Amino acid sequence: MPVTTHRPIAVFKIHPAILSVAALAALLLQTLLPLKLPVARLMDFPLLILIYFALMRRDRMFGIGLGTGLGLLQDTLTHGYIGIFGIAKAITGYLAASASTRFELESLVTRTVLTGVFVLVHNLCLYGLQHVLLEAPPPFQPIATASAVMMNVALGLILFQILDRFRRPA
Amino acid sequence: MVFDPNSPDTSRPVAVLTPDGIGVGAIVNRHRPLFALLLVVTAQILLLSLQIIRNHHVRLIRYWAVQAFDPFERSLGGLINVSSTAYKSYRHLWTAEQENQELRLQLVAAQAQVQRLGQEAGEAEHLRTLLGFKNQLGFQTVSAEVIASSPGENSNAIFIDKGSDSGLTNDLAVIIPEGVVGKIVAIFPHSAQVLLVTDSSSGVGVSLAQSGVQGILKGGSNNFCDLHYVMNDEAVNRGDQVVTSGLDQVYPKGLPVGTVVNVGNGNIYKTINVKPSVDLNRLEMVLVVLKPAAAEQQAMNGAR
Repeated sequence: MPVTTHRPIAVFKIHPAILSVAALAALLLQTLLPLKLPVARLMDFPLLILIYFALMRRDRMFGIGLGTGLGLLQDTLTHGYIGIFGIAKAITGYLAASASTRFELESLVTRTVLTGVFVLVHNLCLYGLQHVLLEAPPPFQPIATASAVMMNVALGLILFQILDRFRRPA
Repeated sequence: MVFDPNSPDTSRPVAVLTPDGIGVGAIVNRHRPLFALLLVVTAQILLLSLQIIRNHHVRLIRYWAVQAFDPFERSLGGLINVSSTAYKSYRHLWTAEQENQELRLQLVAAQAQVQRLGQEAGEAEHLRTLLGFKNQLGFQTVSAEVIASSPGENSNAIFIDKGSDSGLTNDLAVIIPEGVVGKIVAIFPHSAQVLLVTDSSSGVGVSLAQSGVQGILKGGSNNFCDLHYVMNDEAVNRGDQVVTSGLDQVYPKGLPVGTVVNVGNGNIYKTINVKPSVDLNRLEMVLVVLKPAAAEQQAMNGAR
């Protein structure tokens, strides 16, 4: 006789309109904010949106789809090849959704660590893809990468608090 | 049937046991997200290969994306400007109130006026400089406003508010009085994408103002550039001015590009770091240098 075990896992729903507005706003901020605030080049708003929604929905197919969509849109607004951000964000979305079933996401510490790990994974994916695919890849800058991780984690903690207000239990 | 206790959807079996064990279909079904990820990544690698084979020609996708985002960028950019101005005004008001409560209203009015006049004077001075620079150039230019930057930490590009409607085309040089900014790499009806000189994929034909030694300037790290193909036996010193050579057929000859900040010998060529003469993080207005044919088109548009 098969034995099934149940562990209480909170899955949250977000209205598609909220998701669309958040994604659009993230992409717009990503293009506009560095003009006013040069340090914002280190921030990745679409990535934070992806991490949050992938963690909350706990659905790997959703994580892959959202990551691919956001990444490809981000790619089209750069001058580089289309697909670099798409692949990195698809992988990050998959990993975030996979990890979400194993952690208690209401804890601030868990959120901080997971966000830092996924920002680092995303940046390493980008770096790897650029080195494999581009003729003149940018050099690896550990300090800039560390700064980007810390800045995105700090930004993510604020952003996630705001987005928490719009979620509903599934 | 086998259930995954970690899955949120515990009602669905993850594998079906057959008398021979777990079938291929069941494995695919169990690892569906992983297969989906592999499919998505493979598709995008194929897309990347296609772009590399076709030498980066995916203009249609990029055209649609930029056209779709352009109105939002303009609107949000305007909103940010208004909010920024409002925030600055509020901050000045608050400071004035703290410093002198008795003269609060008077001081607030005075500060607001001073700020507005200062801002107008600054803008007028900036425009006067740009106009003076434009008039002294020996070629025709179009002024444009920077409306957005390119997303991505390693993406050194900006968007300007003039496009093919203003007679602009690809490969036009973009400059300001302080020096060279970059060149247009993608053109749209009402906007254009400018690749900055600090991008690793950019290349500018340059020479040293003092010695006339020529080389190719490419983007380096930390917003600096590297000067390539200068032989070890050439005399290059820190502080040497780098100007455009005009040999690349994009940038007119003699425009300032930057200053040599570091020189070292390599195997054959020197290793030279150049600090751009333009602060590329704070661009607002730029001039696009028209080629003769584009200048005629611009003149016709102006006549209409």
